[in-house]
Amino acid sequence: MAATIPAIACLGVIGRNNNPLHITIFPSYDPKTNTASTPVRTPLQFSLLLSSSLDVFDLRLRTTSSASVSGDLGLLHAIDERLAVYGFETNTGTRLVAVIDMRGRRADARVAGGKGAAAAAVVGLREGEMKPVFKAMQTAYVKLLQNPFYDPDEHSPPTGVGGKRITSRLFAEDMRRIGETWMPGVTSL
Amino acid sequence: MDDFPRASLDHNIPLLVTLGIPSDESPYDASPEPAFKDQATLLRSDEPILDSDQARALLGYILDHDASDLPWNAMQDAVSKYKFRVRTAARSLLLPPRRARLPDDIGPPLSSTVLHSPFSPLSPVSPLYPDGLIDCRWLRKHQELVPSVLLSFYMLSSDPTQATLRDNRIKSDINALKNALVQSGYKTRLAVVVLGDQKRSSADGVQERLENIRKICGIDTKSFFFVPTQESQDELERIAENTLTTIYAHATEYYRDLGRHARKKRSRGVAPQPSVPPTSGTSRSLSLQDWNVRYDFKSAIFAEYRQEMDAAYRSFEQAYENLLSSEVVELIPSWSPRWNEARLLADIIAIRSLRCLLWNGQTTAAVRRWQLHRDRISDLVESRGSGTNNYGWEAWEARWATIMANLLERVKLPDLAPATLALYAQPEKAAMGDRLRPWDLLHHPGYWYHIAATHLIRRRAFALAIPEDDRRPPDSSPASKVAGKAFSYDTYMCPEPHEEYPIPGFKGTKHSELIVDCLMKARSEFQKRQQLRMAAELSLECGREYTAVQDWQSIVLLLEPLWRDMSFRTEGWLDIAEDLSWGLRTAASHVGRADLVLTIDWELLNRCFANRRNWHCNLSKSLDGIDVEFKPTVKIHDGNVLSFLSTSFVFRTEEGKAGQTAQAQLSITSNAHPGSAPIILDRLQVDFAGSIRPLVLEHKEDSAGPRRKHRDVIFSEVSLQERAGQNTEEDNPLSAAGHATTASLYGDVDLTLAPGHTLVFAMDIPLREPGEANAASTRFSISQDAFDLEYVARFQESTVPDYWYVSAASRKLMSRSNAHSIHILPRPPKMEIKQLAVPDEFYTSESIELRFELVNAEDENASTKMDVVLRGEELSPCVLEVEGHDNPCPAEAGEQESIVQGVSLGTIGTAKSTVVTLRIEPYAMSTQFELTLQATYHLESDTATSIIQTAIFQVNVVNPFEASYDLLPRLHPDPWPTLFVYEGPDADDTLVKIPKGLSQSWCLVTRYASFAAAGLLVKDVDVSIRAPPSVRCFTTKKQGLPEGGREVRPKTIEEAAFDLVAKKMSLDDRTAASLDASFIIKWSRLSDAEGPVNTTVLPVPRLNIFGIEPRVLGSVSYVRDLVVLQITIENASNHFLTFGLGLEPSEEFAFSGSKQTTLHLLPVSRRSVTYRLLPLVRGEWVRPALVVRDKYFQKVLRVIGTEGVKMDKEGFLVWVPPEEEDDVNQGGD
Repeated sequence: MAATIPAIACLGVIGRNNNPLHITIFPSYDPKTNTASTPVRTPLQFSLLLSSSLDVFDLRLRTTSSASVSGDLGLLHAIDERLAVYGFETNTGTRLVAVIDMRGRRADARVAGGKGAAAAAVVGLREGEMKPVFKAMQTAYVKLLQNPFYDPDEHSPPTGVGGKRITSRLFAEDMRRIGETWMPGVTSL
Repeated sequence: MDDFPRASLDHNIPLLVTLGIPSDESPYDASPEPAFKDQATLLRSDEPILDSDQARALLGYILDHDASDLPWNAMQDAVSKYKFRVRTAARSLLLPPRRARLPDDIGPPLSSTVLHSPFSPLSPVSPLYPDGLIDCRWLRKHQELVPSVLLSFYMLSSDPTQATLRDNRIKSDINALKNALVQSGYKTRLAVVVLGDQKRSSADGVQERLENIRKICGIDTKSFFFVPTQESQDELERIAENTLTTIYAHATEYYRDLGRHARKKRSRGVAPQPSVPPTSGTSRSLSLQDWNVRYDFKSAIFAEYRQEMDAAYRSFEQAYENLLSSEVVELIPSWSPRWNEARLLADIIAIRSLRCLLWNGQTTAAVRRWQLHRDRISDLVESRGSGTNNYGWEAWEARWATIMANLLERVKLPDLAPATLALYAQPEKAAMGDRLRPWDLLHHPGYWYHIAATHLIRRRAFALAIPEDDRRPPDSSPASKVAGKAFSYDTYMCPEPHEEYPIPGFKGTKHSELIVDCLMKARSEFQKRQQLRMAAELSLECGREYTAVQDWQSIVLLLEPLWRDMSFRTEGWLDIAEDLSWGLRTAASHVGRADLVLTIDWELLNRCFANRRNWHCNLSKSLDGIDVEFKPTVKIHDGNVLSFLSTSFVFRTEEGKAGQTAQAQLSITSNAHPGSAPIILDRLQVDFAGSIRPLVLEHKEDSAGPRRKHRDVIFSEVSLQERAGQNTEEDNPLSAAGHATTASLYGDVDLTLAPGHTLVFAMDIPLREPGEANAASTRFSISQDAFDLEYVARFQESTVPDYWYVSAASRKLMSRSNAHSIHILPRPPKMEIKQLAVPDEFYTSESIELRFELVNAEDENASTKMDVVLRGEELSPCVLEVEGHDNPCPAEAGEQESIVQGVSLGTIGTAKSTVVTLRIEPYAMSTQFELTLQATYHLESDTATSIIQTAIFQVNVVNPFEASYDLLPRLHPDPWPTLFVYEGPDADDTLVKIPKGLSQSWCLVTRYASFAAAGLLVKDVDVSIRAPPSVRCFTTKKQGLPEGGREVRPKTIEEAAFDLVAKKMSLDDRTAASLDASFIIKWSRLSDAEGPVNTTVLPVPRLNIFGIEPRVLGSVSYVRDLVVLQITIENASNHFLTFGLGLEPSEEFAFSGSKQTTLHLLPVSRRSVTYRLLPLVRGEWVRPALVVRDKYFQKVLRVIGTEGVKMDKEGFLVWVPPEEEDDVNQGGD
């Protein structure tokens, strides 16, 4: 089995009303075919995964007395040995969720990063390793909000029910770029 | 964990067996191994059993503190100082034999033959013989059969006659027990508890007897306990506690000895030889490595008995490493049953290691250990066994995950208790710094069960791939095949292929049951921790499993509540909602739940769900193939489903008036799948909150009425008819609340709605009563042959603007939000209140008259009442007069407002009018007030409804005049009275007192200006003086006004001068006096000259006269060319004053008179000095430089000019008339 390193399997943006705003799914490395072509789960399973991460957001809100200043909730939970869910909540209640596949990428695919030697050793994740992901996601989201044609109330209506999805192509591209470039040890995206 | 052999995984705690007190609870099971029964050692006591309450209480206490079921964590150590597994025996128990017999078929034992324990692989009777490692029977022996401590109870007799006899019996009994124990070969400790008899005996004797028994039997003091009689419960518990704590030390010691023994055997470094060399099988016996595994395992178990979990962990790890090393497990052939035994042992060791780690709270290490074992075994199976791509491996994986969940349940980690709502434990300190994998944080059992379920699903997938040949029961398939498949399937702890996936008709594994069981366990764990979405996800998976076994009823039970209050739908996780809906629909159609099927179909028609192939997309076909007993009636509320129909109801305007109609539009849009069958609504009812009657549209094909179509929009205008409700539901709360009658508005339209189309109905809604009204809900009714369906959609308050269709082709955005609501204003009053000709402004001192006309513009006569309210400061009284009525109505004056209330104006005929007049008394000050007129009337046709018309007027009252005043001194011509003439007393009776004091003459000049907007006619002016009693005053107007008054234009200044002569009544009174004067103007409006004359009184600033200071008055007269300047000095004081006068020569005139002189003035006297000036210039003001100086005070007195003398800052000026007017005597007096 070729050495693998963690990679992003899915990025999700969830609105204030717990409504999905955006979901991007990334293919994971498959040792059988030795390629990264298919995602590790089906889109429906990813939807369920993102939705169940909302439970954890709610729980954190209940158990931690004071809201974390940075909004970074760190590890929400791990589903199994492969998939772990990390979360971030913005001040406006938008949740950014990253699903990490701990064996999502082949270690030697990292040669381009120039840190190939270190790559093989990476099995876990350090405390702040997800920070750049959320920072980049937030930047992309802020960029989206700055678009005058994007009406946040349309996507998370103040009535508290539902909302439209994000259709911005630029935003989707940003998400794709973040998901594809992130790997453990990357400090900025 | 239940799959493992009994006792293999139990946490080991010292075994305590009590002897002497019978109990039904946890009896010592003497016959677990019938094979050993004949060889077993019998321990027997002949003493009678104890049956006293005290004895039972004591045993009860001990049993209550049985530690077998305590959670597997270190928290318990702090609570209790001892841990025992307690078994009770009455008076006898059987211990397993220490030495196994040789089987009969083996020849007579050689002299060198060494007999071993029956549990050892060395004994031929043992199942382990000759090459097994260790099995659960050994574990069970220690856990259940061989006690560490035997606790024997005796009763001390209190009967003095029998005491010695009974004591001796106890002694012999104890000795017998001891001997039996020694004979058995076990090192079980014996402890004795002696209970005192019920009857109290003398304490000293008892002590002696006890000591005697103990010594004779040779029992240690720490193993000998006495329970005195009649102790209280607390005391009893204390003694029991003491006893148990003490013997726990013995127990620990017992297991330490055993552990030491195991280690000693290990350190010998030789593999013992079996009693009889093996002849069967591989004739392989255990190697040294094998023995080391066995010894390490034993040491670990004994350490666990001692509760030394660290030591146990180390030994377990050692055993584990040795077991999985190349010298032990890899030498076992995988076809041999020993292979599976070794795997079982590895599992047991790993589980026990995990427990040691969890015991100490090393959660992350535990997870890593869990993973390590999985990886080791997987490597082993890959290299030596049948690989990991089979159902056996997945079964093991599932079991391995379940074991972690079970362990967590038994360990009950406080960090992961459901109450903490923690999903995973924080890593222990040792693991903190590393790169942690997320899964290294120990998650709660729900996650582990979930993993187990996924492995079970994979196991099923493998099982389903078993070829049919292998699925046949062994008796029905050729022997060669049976032999063949024995090696190709991994059947470690899981059934043979023919049971794993039996051919139809045979019993076998029910995978779905296993999976659902796991999922349900996981679900309950997630629910306990408020992970409701996660729980819902698991329900969904369960539903899939039920689908696989076609357990439709369970699916409905499981998924229906989820579907009903589904957060996925409202939160927009439509793919999940869709999955759930389809799952439920399939089940519902099998169960025959027509309501569910219809509701789900209704929802799935929505375009936001994906269209499935093979689905009819037609609501009318929904119930095809479903058996229903009667025609179902389904009611759907929009909150429950995501309907494909969206409606909006829009009023054209925000406000409407009662009695009129409001334009409104109802639009219905279908978001159904393109290609789905058009929906035909039979009836559509819009209910309103407020006073609007329900609107009912009924389907009528090709209904009349204009109908325009443009692309997807069909626009039609509907004419509504009001009819009494025919078949409106009685249970309609809205209409019941809003109306007494059930009249509705009916219209006939075509209600066929194709997917993607929008129907727009424009109509005029009659408005009845004032108030707020809004469209509350729409009810769609569909009647089909197979079912009746009603869908109710409520109109929500929304911020999203609605559209107003101008025509089918164009629409516009409504700018207001909540366009479905309308504010109905009351019926507008048609009574008019008009103000009749009024001047622009009103003036003070003028009585104000306001006239209003009430015109009835209604179509009917109106009986009217009138209210008038004046609001303002310091209101004057007023009265209201009504035309044709005699008595005026005075207002009730309040502080801020005066009110005339309820003045009846009688009936005003249609198109007639009535005039009312409001008279307000003159105001003294300028002010303003607000006048509110309110006409309340009702029409003759509808006397109950009062209609109100209100008019508000502002009235300003301003001052018409303002004036300024100058008081100029004049020289009084009369001589002053002298001090030397006696005044004489006043005659009291004289009516008119003659003033006898000083007199002064003044001239009061007033300048008044009109500030009125219109011209005024001043008829007269006057000054009124109020003088103090000591002064008498007279005024005379200098110039009269022209006859008929003077017209004063706005903003012009008029002047009027008055002569004022004041006389003191008494010469003695020489104080200053002040006069209060007011200026009176009598005027009328120019426009209304004949009208009443108003009098405006303007206050004049206070006039101060009769100063005590001497004054110098300059007056001038002209004699031909000469100017005569007379300087008069008045000394009104009581002092003799001397003044120096000097007149400087000037270039402007020559003068005669003393250039410098001194003037002496007696008290109360005046003197004049005259200068005659010959002016050298003409027609100019000349300035005589005259200085009057008070000699005594050296103070220059100011010369005050009188008539003809002008004053300025530097002094006074005298006018020299031009030459030709020389002879005119100007103003001299």
